[in-house]
Amino acid sequence: MKKTIRDTTVADRLLFVLLIAAAVAGLFISREAMSQSNDVIVEINGSPAYTFPLTTDRTFTVQGALWETVIEIKGRKVRIKEAHCPNRICVREGWVSKGAIICLPNRVVVVVGGTGRSGKDIDAVTG
Amino acid sequence: MMLLQDKYRIAVLAAYALALHGFEGLLPMPIPWLRLGLANIITLVALMLYGFRTAITVTLIRVIIASIFTGTFLGPAFILSFGGGVAGTAAMGLALLIGRNVFGPVGLSLIGALFHNAGQLVLAYFLFIQRIEAVLIISPVLILIGTLTGVTNGVISDLLIKNLTRPDEDAAVFPTTGPSTE
Repeated sequence: MKKTIRDTTVADRLLFVLLIAAAVAGLFISREAMSQSNDVIVEINGSPAYTFPLTTDRTFTVQGALWETVIEIKGRKVRIKEAHCPNRICVREGWVSKGAIICLPNRVVVVVGGTGRSGKDIDAVTG
Repeated sequence: MMLLQDKYRIAVLAAYALALHGFEGLLPMPIPWLRLGLANIITLVALMLYGFRTAITVTLIRVIIASIFTGTFLGPAFILSFGGGVAGTAAMGLALLIGRNVFGPVGLSLIGALFHNAGQLVLAYFLFIQRIEAVLIISPVLILIGTLTGVTNGVISDLLIKNLTRPDEDAAVFPTTGPSTE
């Protein structure tokens, strides 16, 4: 056993270290990638209405409570491209890759990651 | 032209490989698809002592007969096992061709394990999964496990080769006559 380890060549040891390093690096990278969900969920009036994959670029229009909202998915990011509300806060939020864009007057919520709202996780109830 | 002693040697080696393959299948594993690759010890010993042709023949016999025993012949598991076995053996043969003193048994075993996994993944991707994210996520896990089992098998192979080629010992398990015997 000792002799075997002593007999390993430089290339053997180099390969071993390289493979372990590659595996560990790969594990971290894939965990990072896994933590980002691949779905865009559009909620209207508080209930999930549409789900789209974040990986496919597309532009679509949803009918909110008051007017239509144009949502664009591009390069794993999502934005509200067009809305007709007075302030356009949702439009000004720009591209989002994690979290949510909320258009309060139109009652449209765009969630990236799916973990934003699960319906059961209530932080606090008052009054 | 294959000599009778070559055939005999291949038969013995294939029997050892099959026994290890079967034994490994009996071991309880935390992950069902996880395999130690113990049969690769025999492939590596065959490669280093008797050359590439013996090694690939032993691998093919082992993969085919093991799949017939377990009833998976020509099924998905067989295709993956076949592809992995051929890729691993071919990679080890190539690495040995590059230079006998570049890689020792441990290095060769690591290469074999890596390319066994790579071959299986490529086949699985094209035939069954077709989802690159799944392949990318599983790859590091396979590389890590393959490296650990590869080192273990390499060390065992090295011990086996050392014992088989010890000059003072007459009790060789395999007949050692042959052109490529060191």
